[in-house]
Amino acid sequence: MNTDGLKGFHRRAFLQRAAALGGMGAASSLALQLACVGEAAAFNATDYRALVCVFLFGGNDYANTLIPRDLTNYDRYAAIRGGSDGRTAGGIAYGLNELSNTALTPVISQTLTDDINYAFNPALVDLKNLFHEQKLGVLLNVGPLVTPLTKAQYQSTNRTLYPLPPKLFSHNDQQSVWQSQSAEGSTIGWGGLLGDIALSSNSTSALTCISVTGNAVYLYGRDAIAYQIGTSGAVKITPATSTSVYSHTEVPAALTQIITATSGHVLENDFSLVTKRAMNLEATVNDAIAPINLSTNFDPDGVSNSLANQLKMVARLIGARNSLGLKRQVFFVSLGGFDNHDALISDHAVLMGRVNEAMNAFYAATVELGVADKVTSFTASDFGRTLSSNGDGSDHGWGSHSLIMGGAVQGGRFFGKAPSVSVTSDDQVGQGRLLPTTSVDQLASTLGLWFGLSQAEVRTIMPRIGNFATDNLGFL
Amino acid sequence: MDYELSLNDGNSTEVLPEPIAGPIETPSGGKIVKPNLIALGLSASLLAACGQDDNSPQATSTTVDKSSRIAPVKLTTVEAARLLQMAQFSSTPDEVAALIDQGYSDWLNNQMATPEGQTGTQWLMSRNHHVPTTSQNFFSGAAGDNMIWHQLINSQQQMRQRIAFALSQFFVVSLTSLTGFWPAFQIAGYWDVLTRNAFGNYRTLLEEITLNPAMGAFLNTKGNKKANTAKGFVPDENYAREVMQLFSLGLYQLNNDGSIKTNLSGAPLETYTQDDITNLARVFTGYNWDMTGVTQQSVSGISFTVPTTEFTRTPMALKASNHASEEKRFLGTVIPIGTNGSTSLSQALDTLFNHPNVGPFFARQMIQRLVTSNPSSGYIGRVATAFNNNGSGVRGDLKAVWKAILTDPEATVRQAGSTAGKLREPALRLVQWARTFKLTSPSGRWLIGDLSNSATSLGQAPLRAPSVFNFFRPGYVPPQTDIATQNLCAPEFQLHNETSTSGYINFIASFIEKGTSDLRPDYSALLAIAHNATDLLNWCNLNLGANSLSQGTITIMQTALEARALTSTGSDANKLRRIYAAVLMTLCAPEYLIQK
Repeated sequence: MNTDGLKGFHRRAFLQRAAALGGMGAASSLALQLACVGEAAAFNATDYRALVCVFLFGGNDYANTLIPRDLTNYDRYAAIRGGSDGRTAGGIAYGLNELSNTALTPVISQTLTDDINYAFNPALVDLKNLFHEQKLGVLLNVGPLVTPLTKAQYQSTNRTLYPLPPKLFSHNDQQSVWQSQSAEGSTIGWGGLLGDIALSSNSTSALTCISVTGNAVYLYGRDAIAYQIGTSGAVKITPATSTSVYSHTEVPAALTQIITATSGHVLENDFSLVTKRAMNLEATVNDAIAPINLSTNFDPDGVSNSLANQLKMVARLIGARNSLGLKRQVFFVSLGGFDNHDALISDHAVLMGRVNEAMNAFYAATVELGVADKVTSFTASDFGRTLSSNGDGSDHGWGSHSLIMGGAVQGGRFFGKAPSVSVTSDDQVGQGRLLPTTSVDQLASTLGLWFGLSQAEVRTIMPRIGNFATDNLGFL
Repeated sequence: MDYELSLNDGNSTEVLPEPIAGPIETPSGGKIVKPNLIALGLSASLLAACGQDDNSPQATSTTVDKSSRIAPVKLTTVEAARLLQMAQFSSTPDEVAALIDQGYSDWLNNQMATPEGQTGTQWLMSRNHHVPTTSQNFFSGAAGDNMIWHQLINSQQQMRQRIAFALSQFFVVSLTSLTGFWPAFQIAGYWDVLTRNAFGNYRTLLEEITLNPAMGAFLNTKGNKKANTAKGFVPDENYAREVMQLFSLGLYQLNNDGSIKTNLSGAPLETYTQDDITNLARVFTGYNWDMTGVTQQSVSGISFTVPTTEFTRTPMALKASNHASEEKRFLGTVIPIGTNGSTSLSQALDTLFNHPNVGPFFARQMIQRLVTSNPSSGYIGRVATAFNNNGSGVRGDLKAVWKAILTDPEATVRQAGSTAGKLREPALRLVQWARTFKLTSPSGRWLIGDLSNSATSLGQAPLRAPSVFNFFRPGYVPPQTDIATQNLCAPEFQLHNETSTSGYINFIASFIEKGTSDLRPDYSALLAIAHNATDLLNWCNLNLGANSLSQGTITIMQTALEARALTSTGSDANKLRRIYAAVLMTLCAPEYLIQK
């Protein structure tokens, strides 16, 4: 096993020994216990599976992602969002006739709250097709929860009985809570915890968790580290790897020595560890992905799409899984710009278009690679937004809908509980900020079970899952 | 050392605290013990009076009579370079000499007394960027990138620029998000608020930022209206939320030393509720860009008229009929029903300004930007106290804040231990390099552009944070590091990963040699010493790193450079090659990158 850059391994080895020696007594913290359980849980997978987290930074507007199209609920939506007469567009409401191309008909009979029927945002037209092809499902009103909550419990001041996730409605914190169950400053995410358990299945284990966007706590476990890669591949440090720099033949080696040096200074040492990891893995990664050139078109509209570029790199990495000896991987990609306080209708539609183009192409790429049922993607976001309008946008909320895509997904249907279209109902906490009816923990545990964890193992990474009705939402 | 008595105000005697002796790491790795004298603005002038030198092990007096003040001991060049790299961007030989000559306190006072120079807006106009073109320059932010690089690299008011850059990471607006007419002028109008108020008062700055047109567009105060029941909409909460979370209070109630207040069961006390936000949001209604001073221009080949740029630098205008007249009740303040917009704004901003969180909340982040990622609670408390009262009863005096940050013993004395300091931001590295080597733009256009891309470029562009949460968060902990294990944070590490660490080295290697086609670095000062690798590397170590490179690192560099023979009669081209190599290795060394 190539554990380049996984500094935690020696620590884990120590913990194992400590456990073996019975040294874990009363003083052991939850973290220590989990670390050992994690080690015990490590499995040796034989097939390939990957999870892809598509994070929509800024807080996606749930109400214009999934829009009511039955007349009763559409009228409620239009009344709250400022729709115009004759069910035409107005304020931040779409017109009813704009929804005809993206109407969603579940493949099984489903009766949702208030008999609601949904359409996707008009820009999600390809994802609508994937829904009907049963390759994509929708998890309704999911969000961070510590325990199931009613509105009355939310309004209670008894936070011992009815704890809330920390720092609701705050962007940076809710991004962190979604990814790691705790607020900014957190260092362990559930994607990384899944990665921990899979490390021993992977011969290049440092490539278990990969981000094609910025640094994300989601991908860090106790041992697993996020390896960061650009959309064009790993970046080679040219001055350190050339035969000479400015005609100086000895400088590349000297530069390499300097930028990878260990140091007694903590910040210096932590800095150079990343550089060292980058240098150790660069050639391995680039050599592996070089022959993986997909025929799937990730840019059919010809307009730059960062999310599509990122997902294309994920697809190429998945294509290189065999040469890299990888059986289980967790990926993180993102698209920003979802904090649509203003110009919601125009700006959000553009973003939805990018999500549509990128995810549709990515699904096609997994088909091309023959791994469609081995790769499950899901969307997440800081939070949902308000249903009410602030003029031409919406404000920070809580629960939102998650799109779940892949050949293994029980697509063409809705999971979870549809929220009422209301700013006064008991499934929202004001202005249509959704009180989640499904927790992120349940989403994570369902994905974890599919990833290959046992229920007991899922419990180790989602210790609060017992608070909720089920650890398997059934979408996989 | 020359931390002068003038930092205190004039009493004849004062009590010296027990000197805090601590080991100080020298670049050579040895340790000396040095008394921490700076705590009360006391200084080596005392030591001079006692006949002791800079490295004296201790001060023995407990009382000093300032009337006996004797010529202060001069700062060393290393000390001066180190202080300059916190208070401004660069530490060239001339700047080091000026600081030593003036003494630190006078130098700081002089810097803060220097009037504003050419503003960003003035520079844009001097380059005719306000003249609309058929290629629709009025919709482009590109000139804004060149504006800010020009300001940071070229302005003579260097400390003012450095402080404004720190403020731009607290009161964040991002050029990347600005749209509509004249984004380059919008961002310049914002930047000019920061430079204008860098040495002013926080309360004034907060109001100017609140009404700034770019901020209005960025956080949606522009066009924000009172609730409309018929149409079912309510005021936008974005600015109300972020002005509290990011620009003044933070999420949790703080003690003056920055520690979080808790209830009896140990749970942190939140600063505000959603209800406070909803109420405060009413205050920020009724505003829009002020177009009254604008002239609509016809542009050949363009089918619509283009406004002139005045609206980008005029505070947003209030339209009374769009302002929410309901009661506004937040943070214990009640603004009665029917209160007009400007009175409401004034009362709201006073409430925020006078909240006890502001001092410690602002202090910690400004210390992080200028000095160190993990200041002690004592350091935060001392700076917060200066914010609360500048010594003359004035709250929010930013000069007092900068002085408190930059003359604190945790700043003035290189801290012992293995966790001190901070990662230099990529943009700060580039500006330091550019100023050190007197970068010029022969065309005058300063075509540096957006350097945000971390794979192919610098990985950070000033005034282009990805969101109002800046390039990195003050509480960011890089996972799976010893930093995390020690319960420390390292904000700038949020930009550090496999791609960016590699991209930076590639970018800087190319940039230091060629700049861009529009730029010229000037290495002439080093040509005379380039043949002597020791002298060359010592120059780089001092002027770029304040001697933070260890002798071991210098030796590695020296061996590599000397492998390519060069004598004093060598060609300038060969001398330049060696200079590039020396500068590259310095700017990529972790010992340089961690500023301490």
